[in-house]
Amino acid sequence: MAFKIASSPHLTQHNQTHTVMQRVLLCALPGVAVQCYFFGFGSLIQIILAISVALLCEAAVLFLRKRAIKSTLNDNSAMLTALLLAISIPPLAPWWVIVIGTCFAIGIVKHLYGGLGQNIFNPAMAAYVMLLIAFPVQMTTWVAPNSIALHPVGLLQSIQYIFTHMPQASIDSYQLGVDGISMATPLDTVKTSLSSGLTMQESLQNRIFADGLPVGWLWINLAYLVGGLAMLKLKLIRWQISVGVLCSLFILSSIGFILNPDSHLGPLVHLFSGATMLSAFFIATDPVTAATSLKGRLLFGALIGILVYVIRTFGGYPDAFAFAVLLANLCAPFIDYYVKPRAYGHRISH
Amino acid sequence: MLSLLEQIDSGTLWQSPGGIHPPQIKSLSNTRPIARLPLAQEYVIPVPQLGEQAILAVNIGDLVKKGTPLTQGQSATYLAVHSPTSGILVAVEERASNHASGLPVLSCIIQADGLDTWSLLDSHQDFQPLSNAEMLTRIQAAGIAGLGGAAFPTHIKLNPVSDIELLIINGIECEPYITSDDRLMREYSHDILTGVSIIQQLIGPKRIIFAVEDNKPDAIKAIKKALKRHPINSAQIRVTAVPTKYPSGGEKQLIQMLTGQEVPSGAIPAQLGMLVQNVGTVFAIKEAVLDGKPLIERVVTITGERATTPGNYWLPIGTPIEHVLSLSQTPKKPPQHIIIGGPMMGYILPQASAPIIKGTNCLLLPSDNEMLVEQQEKPCIRCGECAQVCPALLLPQQLFWHAQAKEYDKAASYNLQDCIECGCCSYVCPSDIPLVEYYRVAKSALREQSKDKQEADLAKQRFDARTQRLEEEKTAREAKQQQAASRRKANVTNKDNDVIAAAMARIKAKKDSSPSTQEITAENTAIAHTELAQKTDKKAQIAAALARAKAKKAQMATALNTDITSPEKAQLNANEGAITHIPVTDSPIVDKKAKIAAAVARAKAKKAQMATAQNTDITSPEKTQLNASEGSIAHIPVIDSPIVDKKAKIAAAVAKAKAKKSQMATALNTDITSPEKPQLNASEGSQRSITQTPVIDSPIVDKKAKVAAAVARAKAKKAQTTAAMQPQDRVTTENQTESSSEQTPVTDSLSIERPVLDKKAKIAAAVAKAKAKKAQAQQENKD
Repeated sequence: MAFKIASSPHLTQHNQTHTVMQRVLLCALPGVAVQCYFFGFGSLIQIILAISVALLCEAAVLFLRKRAIKSTLNDNSAMLTALLLAISIPPLAPWWVIVIGTCFAIGIVKHLYGGLGQNIFNPAMAAYVMLLIAFPVQMTTWVAPNSIALHPVGLLQSIQYIFTHMPQASIDSYQLGVDGISMATPLDTVKTSLSSGLTMQESLQNRIFADGLPVGWLWINLAYLVGGLAMLKLKLIRWQISVGVLCSLFILSSIGFILNPDSHLGPLVHLFSGATMLSAFFIATDPVTAATSLKGRLLFGALIGILVYVIRTFGGYPDAFAFAVLLANLCAPFIDYYVKPRAYGHRISH
Repeated sequence: MLSLLEQIDSGTLWQSPGGIHPPQIKSLSNTRPIARLPLAQEYVIPVPQLGEQAILAVNIGDLVKKGTPLTQGQSATYLAVHSPTSGILVAVEERASNHASGLPVLSCIIQADGLDTWSLLDSHQDFQPLSNAEMLTRIQAAGIAGLGGAAFPTHIKLNPVSDIELLIINGIECEPYITSDDRLMREYSHDILTGVSIIQQLIGPKRIIFAVEDNKPDAIKAIKKALKRHPINSAQIRVTAVPTKYPSGGEKQLIQMLTGQEVPSGAIPAQLGMLVQNVGTVFAIKEAVLDGKPLIERVVTITGERATTPGNYWLPIGTPIEHVLSLSQTPKKPPQHIIIGGPMMGYILPQASAPIIKGTNCLLLPSDNEMLVEQQEKPCIRCGECAQVCPALLLPQQLFWHAQAKEYDKAASYNLQDCIECGCCSYVCPSDIPLVEYYRVAKSALREQSKDKQEADLAKQRFDARTQRLEEEKTAREAKQQQAASRRKANVTNKDNDVIAAAMARIKAKKDSSPSTQEITAENTAIAHTELAQKTDKKAQIAAALARAKAKKAQMATALNTDITSPEKAQLNANEGAITHIPVTDSPIVDKKAKIAAAVARAKAKKAQMATAQNTDITSPEKTQLNASEGSIAHIPVIDSPIVDKKAKIAAAVAKAKAKKSQMATALNTDITSPEKPQLNASEGSQRSITQTPVIDSPIVDKKAKVAAAVARAKAKKAQTTAAMQPQDRVTTENQTESSSEQTPVTDSLSIERPVLDKKAKIAAAVAKAKAKKAQAQQENKD
């Protein structure tokens, strides 16, 4: 009698990569739903578009690389990348923006580096930055929250805008800072206001803020926070990166706010506007591009928080997270090299 | 701050990092008492130490009883092996081993007689009167090895060099499925405590912790109950329930949980004053010390969904697993996996004919869908779950990354050697990567590397030593030469070139008058050598040595010739040139073989090179003397040479050497320019005259003709080499003669006064030099 040799252990838990990815996707749904509530169905269309393109693109690349297509597509990682990119870009951005972005994320950022697990940069964020630099107008023209918009956008209208054209009004509204279908994001608005000589208090008088907090964005961020906590509970992510991001951002913005409240946003605005919660829980926690050890991840998260604050406060782009995550991705191997946990039996003083 | 023992007494437990909580599935097998299975027909007892540390204690065909020692050994690591039943030792042969490799191992095959009669047991009522040495002897004689799985000889473990403060009895059994220790503790708690008190007497610990995982409440109860009735000093013992977590039963993890201390990397617990013993081993110690029973059976859990009657069984060591399967497995084809050990660290048995061994604690017979569901390895997403569960605090994904890339040194820098292969990382890996397998491969590659490195280091040491020695020898030689040269210089200072010329002229005259019998010369010398050769007795080695010697000679020759100077050099050349003829004429006589020819070819190339080198640097007349002195130095070894034996091979080698030399000579010849050359011819003439006598002898020696011829050639060549030096010698001699001082300056008596003698002397000198070189070569060879 002879048997096949397999290595121990012979038991494994049934928590597979594809289930992990799937659960992360599900945990993002509350945030997506709230986002759709405030900004219309544009995001939903972008998501569908992005996921389809991502799967097609990945299949094509896998075909070219002569890899197993079906089993790889099943790991849901491309879908997650597509989702993250789709909810990051303006909901009414033209269709080709998301198509180009997704192809870039999957084809170049992920597969040119060797596919899942090998990429240096977070694919969604790298694509986002590429789009931001290549198509600044389309990428900075956000939709006005339905609650304050003069013309809330319906489903059909969203489709029409995405697949045909952006209304010209958007640019006007961007420039005028008045109500329309679309407008700048709160952070962008504050940036513009501050640079035009207004104080922080005056800037926050804009209709896009309610009681000093951005309309809509607060709830979107809260929804992503809920999703993030669910991921922690399900042990899909560990707390180190998220806590690192949020804590460092909170501490720095508090210091800035205390020192000079006239020109600095408060910590709550920082935490609940823009992509803060989405990034802290869903983007920065991408394990592939993060540091590996727990301490390293804490540092990695803190680095992102610091960069976000610096870019938001002193930089030209208010979309700080994409840049911060990419810069931190670059530092991850460095962090890993210097932050190695002490192994059992290697106590320094004995 | 409480001391460690106080903390232990207060019941403090520490955290061990990582770990997992796999399904236990222990109730499958722990509900029934330990049972026995019918005897097998045949028992296979591996005796891996046989032939190395042990010898057979019984003869093949002998009747053995249950407990009869099968081997004997003296070394400290010798582990006794006994017959598990009564029967006949029918064979000692290689059988499939109970190992992941399944490689055959030397085993004693016992044909059971079915009676199962015990041999005479040396039992004791009480162990207290026994001395430590007696107890250790009994433990060693019983062949007890750690039954937790590692199978380390217990008598060594129980004889630690350092003081043991804390004895830990390991009843954790954290692997899923396995319940052998659980049942043993429930049913033999009293005996186990007796075993504990034996160890207590042996090593005198301050505290004893009996650690049991809290998923075995019955075992804990049983131990606690037995403790009340047992005579053991219960004040020292503490039964501790440890929270269930895999792998808390690992020695290092258990120590960390019970004491908060970490065993330093690469060390053993004894360095912390701790000793961990498995309960099964403790039980075996009691059996051995009190009852005199050797370790011939152990409790084995037979479990898994395929087992018909899962439970625990006393299985004799050596029971073929096939036999166990035939009694306890649902018959099913095709054959399915058998896992030896638990699902986390066990291995799949390649051959069911392998026996139960001392470390076998479980036979796991899983059904198709119970485990081992084949999963395809997917890319690592660096999720870090593995690092979360690693009890050794390693970074498994980094280890994997480097192990996969075969960057083993980098993997080692991530403390790969501290991996205990518990399998937690693989268990949680969402990408189904067999991480432990990667680490095993990397570890063995590292072991290979370090072995290779050690060997390379040794080789380098040897090489360095040799280079140094050669260097020293060379310096010594040069110093000697210089000394000789200076002495000779002192002797020749008065001489005149005219005198030399006169001498040359005389030699020339002689040569003209003598007939040419070069061949005869060769033969003659050959005979002399054959005799030598007959005495001698060295073979292949010598040949090898000669080969090297050749190389040296070549070197030496070069050395000699580089120093050759003005007028004398020409003579030398001429002389050599003359001698070159000999080999040429000889060749028909000598049976030449392909090899030799090849060698010769190679040699030629070398010599030609050498010759070229020779003529390049020419120096002062004094150098000649130096050469001459070398010639004389060469005589010394002549005395040694008889010791060195030469044979056919040597002859062949020598022949080759000759060929080379002749070439060299030729090369030299081409450079001849000066008028002294004729003198040389004269000298040759005289050589020839000497040689005539041997011609008559040569037929007699016909037998060894070939050898002789070869040797002869060798000599001839050597003669040539020497000849290279001798012109100077002669010159010196003659000079001296003329200046009415009959004695040779430095040259010894062999290369002396009369021209006739002179020739002989030359030849002798040549031979001597050749021999000297060979002797040297041999010596080096030996070195």
